[in-house]
Amino acid sequence: MTGAELRGAREQMRVSLVTLKDVFGITGSFVFTRAGDLVARELPPMFDDVALGEASSRLMRLHETFAAGGEQLDVAVLRFRDHKLYLKTLPAGALCILSNGAVNMPALRMAANLVGRRITPALETVARAPLEAAEPEPPPAPVPAARQVPLAPPGMRIFRGRPVE
Amino acid sequence: MSTTTAASTTAVGFRAQISGASLWDLVQMECLSRSRQVIRISGEGGVGYLFFAEGRVVHAVTSKLVGEAAALEILSWTNGLFQPCERAWPATGTIETSCEGLILRLAKQRDEAATNLVAFRARAPAVAAAHPFEEQKQRQKQEDDSQFEEIEIEELHEEGEMRAPTNIDQPAPPTAIGPRADLTTDFPVMLRLGPGGSIVTNKGASEEMAGVVAYAHRLGQLAGELLGVEPFVALECVFADGRLLMFQEENGDVVALRPRGDTNLQPLRDRLGL
Repeated sequence: MTGAELRGAREQMRVSLVTLKDVFGITGSFVFTRAGDLVARELPPMFDDVALGEASSRLMRLHETFAAGGEQLDVAVLRFRDHKLYLKTLPAGALCILSNGAVNMPALRMAANLVGRRITPALETVARAPLEAAEPEPPPAPVPAARQVPLAPPGMRIFRGRPVE
Repeated sequence: MSTTTAASTTAVGFRAQISGASLWDLVQMECLSRSRQVIRISGEGGVGYLFFAEGRVVHAVTSKLVGEAAALEILSWTNGLFQPCERAWPATGTIETSCEGLILRLAKQRDEAATNLVAFRARAPAVAAAHPFEEQKQRQKQEDDSQFEEIEIEELHEEGEMRAPTNIDQPAPPTAIGPRADLTTDFPVMLRLGPGGSIVTNKGASEEMAGVVAYAHRLGQLAGELLGVEPFVALECVFADGRLLMFQEENGDVVALRPRGDTNLQPLRDRLGL
């Protein structure tokens, strides 16, 4: 599996996550694998990847905690003071939606079901990929510097890269 | 009518709306102000009146009780409204105890009620064996199961249901879950953990479940902290074959409930903000 394919799968998930914002009250969402690795996000920049990755790890452990007790977690809703976190377990990971406290829960559940179904193939693709291949897309290479213009001899002017008299 | 309007418009002071305050806080505020007025409290147990004068509660009345018993009944309520009202004063006060004394007495009542819950019929044998005196007590208590059941229901109703966090957007009506007798039917498994993870109350839960609840609660807290949305208030889990509700109370206790499949959870969800 090529890096381009993985990037495509991630982008496909991200595009699906964007649609969740149609539900009033949803702040954003993210997806992580069973290993707890963050693989897609659609959240404001104030939520940094490190914190999301750490939170993903805890939420996956929540799933494992119940699994250890013999129960398969399907959905969890965590209520915080002003926010809700909706966690939907998927075959290869989980979809996590952050919303405010007054979000329309039936709409959120429906949207989560649809998006969950849509991102499942892409998530499975990313989750199967070797760790190094699944690393986030590297930053784009620096733009090559423009062709260097030869320095003009003293007293000579240059116009559009060409010496002029 | 015009006199009333004039009086209300010339009244001095602020009118306040406070949500999330405990009744004890409001009573203490009223005592500190040393005002003479009657407060109407409508809570989960009905309506009651507290008469404040000289910095203490001098009289109290509910639909069934008068005096200190009524005051203790009212002070045990955990949700409701606290409103000044006009009401006829008694010729003499019926309560001598200070405000602090009432609160202490209520706390003692609660402690005694909790002590009565040491022997849980569904508690894991390993836990019971660790407390031989409790085991003995359990055998004695089994003779009067119906009475014990009543205490359990009352305790869980008061602490598990009614002392849910009060800073929720829309607190549900007091009778949200239903009559007391339905509580154990609706939630066959109920567990209360103290802040240190100790089992305070247990009905139908295994020791393993206590560990699961304690750890899940901690993970929920951590996830909230990492996302900057703390504090954790409540959690609802949906499994293939059941549900689990968990919430943290103001005193740090964590309460977990397992409802029956056909229990209507919406009132409790509304109360917990889920």
